Amino acid sequence: MELRINRRSLIVLAAVGALSASSFAVLRPEPGGASSHREAPMIAGDPRNDNTDLYAFVSPDKPDTVTLIANWIPFEEPVGGPNFYTFDTKSRYNIKIDNNGNGRPDITYQWTFRDEDKRGNSTFLYNNGPVTSLDDPNLLYRQRYTLKKYDAKHGWTTIVKDGVVAPSNVGPASMPDYAKLRGQSLRKLPGGGVTFAGQADEAFFLDLRVFDLLYGGDLSEVGQDTTKGYNVHSVAIQVPKNDLAVKGDAKRNPVIGVWATTEKWSPDGYKQVSRLGQPLVNEVVVPAGLKDAFNSLSPDKDAGIPAVVKRVTEPELPKLIEGIYKIPAPKTPRDDLVQIFLTGIAKANGPIKADLNSQILNKDVDPKTFRPSEMLRLNMSVPVEPKPNRLGLLAGDAQGFPNGRRLGDDVVDIALQVMEGAARTGKLVDALAAGDKVDANDRPFQTTFPYIPLPSAAAVNTR
Amino acid sequence: MRDTLRPRSRARTVAGTVAGVLAVAVAVTAGATFLPASEPRPVLTTTTAAVPAAGAGVYGPAGGPGSVKALQDRLRRLPGDHQAWAALGTAYVQQARITADPAYYTKAEQALGRAARLAPGDFAVLTGRAALAAGRHEFAEAARLARRATEANPYGAAAYGVLADSSTQLGDYAEATRAVRRMTELRPGVSSFTRASYDAELRGDTARARMLMEAALDDAFTSEDRAYCRYYLGELALRAGDLGAAERAYGEALRASPGFLPARAGLARAAALGGDLERAAAGYAEVVGRLPLAQYVVEYGEVVRKLGRDPSPQWAVLRAQKDLMAANGVRDDITWAEFEADHGSPDAAVRHAKAEYARNPNMVAADALAWALHKAGRSREALPYTREATALGWRNALIAHHRGVIEKASGRDANLFSSLATEYNPRFDPALPSLARFT
Repeated sequence: MELRINRRSLIVLAAVGALSASSFAVLRPEPGGASSHREAPMIAGDPRNDNTDLYAFVSPDKPDTVTLIANWIPFEEPVGGPNFYTFDTKSRYNIKIDNNGNGRPDITYQWTFRDEDKRGNSTFLYNNGPVTSLDDPNLLYRQRYTLKKYDAKHGWTTIVKDGVVAPSNVGPASMPDYAKLRGQSLRKLPGGGVTFAGQADEAFFLDLRVFDLLYGGDLSEVGQDTTKGYNVHSVAIQVPKNDLAVKGDAKRNPVIGVWATTEKWSPDGYKQVSRLGQPLVNEVVVPAGLKDAFNSLSPDKDAGIPAVVKRVTEPELPKLIEGIYKIPAPKTPRDDLVQIFLTGIAKANGPIKADLNSQILNKDVDPKTFRPSEMLRLNMSVPVEPKPNRLGLLAGDAQGFPNGRRLGDDVVDIALQVMEGAARTGKLVDALAAGDKVDANDRPFQTTFPYIPLPSAAAVNTR
Repeated sequence: MRDTLRPRSRARTVAGTVAGVLAVAVAVTAGATFLPASEPRPVLTTTTAAVPAAGAGVYGPAGGPGSVKALQDRLRRLPGDHQAWAALGTAYVQQARITADPAYYTKAEQALGRAARLAPGDFAVLTGRAALAAGRHEFAEAARLARRATEANPYGAAAYGVLADSSTQLGDYAEATRAVRRMTELRPGVSSFTRASYDAELRGDTARARMLMEAALDDAFTSEDRAYCRYYLGELALRAGDLGAAERAYGEALRASPGFLPARAGLARAAALGGDLERAAAGYAEVVGRLPLAQYVVEYGEVVRKLGRDPSPQWAVLRAQKDLMAANGVRDDITWAEFEADHGSPDAAVRHAKAEYARNPNMVAADALAWALHKAGRSREALPYTREATALGWRNALIAHHRGVIEKASGRDANLFSSLATEYNPRFDPALPSLARFT
């Protein structure tokens, strides 16, 4: 992952987002003489291998289970055909769970994909006629996936073979009932649970310009959902809580840490190129010069990088806000932010006096092996909130971010408040109450797995 | 910092003098040459950014037609955003490559200068400046800046790419290999695999070069990157004498990206080496009409000459181009060293080759210097350079041929190298030397 791609870092992406194909993605001849100097492509956008979002929450309709959703490929233009978006068939897409707090994965779910392409050379079309089911012969191109699970006891086991990726939504003429296609794409897991891979609506909502703050701008020009109308590619899995808990016991050990990674193939083995736990981590945790390092590391290394820790304890954003809005920046070092971003919230970890979502709270965890690390932490025992508040924990809704992350959590507004110390004081900073002025996704979430809305089939600029 | 006004004002003068020959071609170029017919497309795209964290490798909300304009808009709003300045500068470097219009380097320099004043040690800024230097063929400076960028951010793959490119040009192949290896480790994919392929090719491992280029093709997402990989698979085939495979690969490159000019040049090259000079000349005429790159013009001229016709119109275009590039601060002694040795003044060739070799002591420069010296009647002086040019094991028929000729002229046994030239490439034609030069 690089700054441009990870959607948490849309700061710059907003700036250069318009550097589009027409001007760049062409071969560059050399200026002075092509005979002397070969020009290989420079680092290119690699959206298929860049994690953009991660969600982890207790399933509202099945409270004995947890749902994990990871997204890739932001800003999929719905009418992007005929070159529709796909998972990279040479990469490994992972969701990892650390339930004992040592920063290393105890459980890994890994999706890998392959193409099933019946187009031959005769057509470039995605389908030749209406697609009314996933095995419809009119669907000429589809991807299939294998889902493997790793845990220490069983090693790697294959839990789904030949799963079908829900196709790109190419519009009502081709796919008159897209919801049916998605329904057919869900696969039950042995031992309980269900999984999904496919295109989905971009459920993240924010105004990217909120981060202009970091570059000397202000919050006057916000209120537009920058991601509205775009699609992403998602993988999702819903499993019994006990599947993820230490010793299979979610009652004694309800806290898990979750992050997603992407590993790319190389001649020398697979290399992790992207990593994502909490949203907005690039804005508030990882300094620009360390983003590449951060993306290649596993969380157990985080605490060994002083610059990352310092960025959390001495954050930049509150100082910028103080400069513009005269809201005093909270005193540093910010141990409350360490709790939120690196250890999880537990009384033993810092000034936020709550025992919520640090693995250190798990009864069967040895505190001596606990290691601060950046991941999305969820206490699975917090009951489902029937009326979720978009501000999550800060509004007293302990089921929401930063306790896990639900699709509807307004992470930008929450993060702004958290940076201003709201998690420690328990009081929202009114002057920033409006945040980025984008409070909800434009499309409603579904009530059953995988919850994330169906992909749009309308061009973004026609909406 | 370079005085950005000087080259620009000189460029105007020179552009005026050569306008009759070049202006039309360059103007057409900027608008039309490499751009695929299908553009603009709203799909997500890669770019050729050298500055990863500055967001230059961006795809994003579609419908940003003026990419540079979008950056400029942002910078009007947020003039303190050094990363956006770095991205803008990098964008101009890419524009220069796309349009073959070196005036963009001046703009790149201004933007990167702003970025550097705001954040001189920022790795994205350093990487952008490194890419600019490499684009201008200032490889020592490029390597220096790229090294600083890797110190600022040891995990930034793009800087290792510039370091690999410039180290190759500086003849430091060990450093280039290390940089490529690190880049591949950090960012497996089309950018690193294409460089690793080149590294393997230069070391004579053609099979690995092909494997890596195919891996790059697998990873390539945009049609333009796919065309690039197909094209170099074609080049690998052509350099090994397999004209059929080369033509197929060039054809696939054009199917991937119909406006991809290097593949059209490749088809002309394969036609010429296959003996169909008329078809080759027609192909080159079209290529040069779209983009009068020196490499293409020389190849065209050689084919015209082999047809028994007068290549002087091609040579005139070339000399005009030479003046224009020089006026814009782009040095390209290697092209003129090779051209003058084969088609002009051997003494001028020696001057250019010495200048090139002094700056960029790589295999190609060593070969050019050796060949220029030989042509100027100084074959003995040429010996150490032609030996240096063949030392790494690169299976390059032209360089092997040169060594054979020079060894022979120096009274030594030339058989080994003459047979190597044929072994490397059974279709090698000494009468068409520029068609054997790597691109």
